[in-house]
Amino acid sequence: MISERLRRRGPLALVAVLLAFLTGCASDAELDTLNPQGPSARQIDALFDPVFYVAIVVFIFVFAGTFIIWWRFRDNHDDETFPNQIHGDTRLELLWTIVPTLILVVISVFTLTTLRSLNSTEANAFALEVDGGVTQWEPEVVVVGQQWWWEFRYYLNGLDGVDLTDARHLPPADIVTAGQMVIPAGEEIELAVTSRDVIHSFWIPALNGKKDAAPGRVHPWKLEADEPGVYFGQCTEFCGLSHSRMRMQVVAMTPDDFRAWIEEQLQPAAEPVEAAAQRGQEIYETQCARCHVIDGFNDNGGADLVSNAAPNLTHLMSRTTYAGGIFNMYEPNGSLDRTQLEAWLRNSPAEKPAYAEGRRGMPAMGLDEGQIDDVVAYLVTLGQKPSLDIIAATEVE
Amino acid sequence: MTETTTVDDVVTQPLGVYTRPRGGTGWRDWITTVDHKKIGILYGVAALFFFVVGGIEALLIRLQLATPNGTVLGADMYNQVFTMHGVTMIFLAAMPLSAAFANYLIPLQIGARDVAFPRLNALSFWIFLAGGIVLNLSWVLGGAPDGGWFGYAPNTGIVFSPSAGMDFYALGLQITGVASLMSSINLTVTILNMRAPGMTLFRMPVFTWMMLVTQLLLVFAMPVIAVALFLLAFSRLFGAKFFDPAVGGDALLWQHLFWIFGHPEVYILILPSFGIISEVIPTFSRKPIFGYSFMVFSGIAIGFMGWGVWAHHMFVSGIGPISVAAFSLSTMFIAVPTGVKILNWMATMWGGRIKFSAPMLFAVGVVSMFTIGGLSGVTHAISPADTQQTDTYYIVAHFHYVIFGGIIFGLFAGLYFWWPKVFGHMLSDLVGKWNFWVMLVGFNLTFGPMHVLGLQGMSRRIDSYSPGFGFELWNMVSTVGSFLIALSVAIFVINVIVSAMKARGQAPCGPDPWDARSLEWLTPNPTPVHNFDEIPVVESLDEFWHRKYGTDEDGRIVRVASAEEVCEDGSAVGVHLPSPSFWPIVFASGLPFIALGLIFNLWLTVPGGLLVVMAIYAWIFEPVDDPDAAHGDHDDHGGDEAAADTTEEAPVV
Repeated sequence: MISERLRRRGPLALVAVLLAFLTGCASDAELDTLNPQGPSARQIDALFDPVFYVAIVVFIFVFAGTFIIWWRFRDNHDDETFPNQIHGDTRLELLWTIVPTLILVVISVFTLTTLRSLNSTEANAFALEVDGGVTQWEPEVVVVGQQWWWEFRYYLNGLDGVDLTDARHLPPADIVTAGQMVIPAGEEIELAVTSRDVIHSFWIPALNGKKDAAPGRVHPWKLEADEPGVYFGQCTEFCGLSHSRMRMQVVAMTPDDFRAWIEEQLQPAAEPVEAAAQRGQEIYETQCARCHVIDGFNDNGGADLVSNAAPNLTHLMSRTTYAGGIFNMYEPNGSLDRTQLEAWLRNSPAEKPAYAEGRRGMPAMGLDEGQIDDVVAYLVTLGQKPSLDIIAATEVE
Repeated sequence: MTETTTVDDVVTQPLGVYTRPRGGTGWRDWITTVDHKKIGILYGVAALFFFVVGGIEALLIRLQLATPNGTVLGADMYNQVFTMHGVTMIFLAAMPLSAAFANYLIPLQIGARDVAFPRLNALSFWIFLAGGIVLNLSWVLGGAPDGGWFGYAPNTGIVFSPSAGMDFYALGLQITGVASLMSSINLTVTILNMRAPGMTLFRMPVFTWMMLVTQLLLVFAMPVIAVALFLLAFSRLFGAKFFDPAVGGDALLWQHLFWIFGHPEVYILILPSFGIISEVIPTFSRKPIFGYSFMVFSGIAIGFMGWGVWAHHMFVSGIGPISVAAFSLSTMFIAVPTGVKILNWMATMWGGRIKFSAPMLFAVGVVSMFTIGGLSGVTHAISPADTQQTDTYYIVAHFHYVIFGGIIFGLFAGLYFWWPKVFGHMLSDLVGKWNFWVMLVGFNLTFGPMHVLGLQGMSRRIDSYSPGFGFELWNMVSTVGSFLIALSVAIFVINVIVSAMKARGQAPCGPDPWDARSLEWLTPNPTPVHNFDEIPVVESLDEFWHRKYGTDEDGRIVRVASAEEVCEDGSAVGVHLPSPSFWPIVFASGLPFIALGLIFNLWLTVPGGLLVVMAIYAWIFEPVDDPDAAHGDHDDHGGDEAAADTTEEAPVV
């Protein structure tokens, strides 16, 4: 990756190496803003880099100038003549008013053109098989923030006529998922970003800059990933207690994998077969269904929470992260991380700070160990485990 | 101005409780003083105290973030601590420390005896202190504010921030805002109306000019935050819905109001520092400021342009691409007048004979560190790049280079420079140099790595981060750096104590220890209570310097008078001065009761309100003067002269 940087940034290689070193340009810098993996992020990077170098040049000019002046005009006590009392020079003043202005004019031209292209859309319809027929999906995803997790809603027939102004009462969507947004790689995805409570900010640094999610407002934004992969994000607008634990991922798939994912997500949850899972479903019905939804089993018509929503669990196992993107569902070898999941079910406020008593966040449900085992047995029936590639890419440590 | 008119003919009637206090000594003197110099010192002491408090909060933040998954504070306490760090440093440390310099120096630099409204000046200080106390009472009364210093709605609403913390924020800041607003009107009137004969606007030192721009910014900015805080207080205390979109409110309304105040606030903070180093750099380069009129007009330009850039805090808030484009351009071009200032300071040093005393080191620290902050500012004025950088540690790095590098360094330059003026003895220059270099290294270790962390994608205001994102190394470096800053502040405190102990029993340092240029050095050190023995007649910019130096027949600069010959000796007696008053502190002491009453129990507002009303009446009814104070028996001052001053000092442009 360092050599790639060097090649691209040519004459300023030294600075680039320094920057690459400083930013720890390694595989573990998952949120690196200087490592674009999509067209929008690349355009931003292409604007930032030259401006950064201009800033470095000005920096060197001012610092070198200061040091030269310090050395040359230091008081060395062997010269007692008093310095000339120069009061100014209008030509110099005009020079250093006009030159920075001209530099900024040039920068502003590139800024405006970048801004324009970041705000233009050119999404192409994407053919999906739905209910045996072909649907031309305009790739759009509704992104909804709430304390302290992200929901992603797919309306496969388009957003025309879908009223998003009240995010606490959104029209039913074809697919509702949480924590991980799944998109086809190489396609521009339009986003409609909003919030159910306070202001959050949706940000996948490798793919694009951020956009605030504000209640009562729907903000257009877009994403595109060059290649299949998992791209990390973090809520960046301070949103209260667990702001730091409000993370998200974008999972980009090949078009075929994505179509398969859509097909799976459209299936309602299957009825559990095993006895333990059936017991777990009963516990779910009494304890969890006040807030959570499992398509084909319950629709609570609004969660008993300030945000009016809890993550949809219909295809829980198809996601590799949960609880606001902070826990991995699977071990790197693909087996379920049962310990963490049980700890979450046992006492979630101990795992992630929340105001459960203020109906913000999941409360401790007071389940005994047998009940927890049953609930886990039920949950593992919900959705298909994703590919090992995705599971591996979710690991950051 | 009533206080400075003569009372020879006024029959002073003892009115019981309304008797005017006599100029006492000890603590009674401090709580009743209306002397701009003592009020300046009070501001300075309070600001440095809160600076230490805010610094401890900063160290707690750095301890929490030193390692991944930090557990020093926990999420809830972390949110309170980072909120109070910002609020304390901005409203209770940086602004009042600037006010300390403004209060002490403006009357001296323009050749006046005091500010225009001395009692109002005292009231400003005590109200500021009351606001600071209210804000910090939150720690022991149910939790500090936890919504960030920027307090974005609706996260600050009662549902999302159920502790009383944000009530303390809304009311405490409202109180300090009242203080700032009164002080700014007072100082604006002082600068415009109380200049000595011959002190035209364009003979004013750059410091006073920058302070004038600052005060005018305050006059227009404080009402905006006052409105925002009223909306917040009404939302929280009385169930108003200004920011609730569910019933037609607007979540972005707060952001616009806050940043229309908040961005001029940045210039309110930085312009005093620019003013200070515009005095220090010429003095230690032994040259006049280069391009005086460009320095003044670039300051004025910043003052105007500062109103047109607020939405650059909101590039990702969803305001739409046209607004983003407009504010992106205005933000870029505000770099021009700031760049002019940087280059003029360098040109001032060019060709000089530079002495590297502690004040000069701090001043050049501003020039260099602020340059870094300004340049990183340009890299997010380009709004597309800002969508990556905003709300990351890159921004934290940027504004600490501006606020710490640009403002705190400047205020320290001012402290070292004017210390002998205020206290009559020097701070140790050698210790001052240690103070500077430790602070410079600590500062760059703390905030330099934050650029890297931000570009690596570390979000702001997160109480913890997971291992594996590459944040570990630079967070640890930053924490180490923050303790170096703490060490440098400790060095400063030691310097203050040791220098004061050494100076005890010694004669005051001589006049003019730095070979300075501006009018305040015409008075002896420390400044006598009446400032000038005679109100000087001003003939040029750098009046004091021109009284010391002339040119010989070859046009070379030669010394024509020693400082002792030029400086006044402070021997004037019987100069009529405004009398002290109890009522400013009584007025201010009512406000915390009103604030606590609004938060906890409305009955508490009754004693608070009574104190305020009583103070207002007493303020009106107290005799205009201390009957025993000397006045009217000096050649030049008191009596008719003092009254005449008010007309003679009308602005001369």
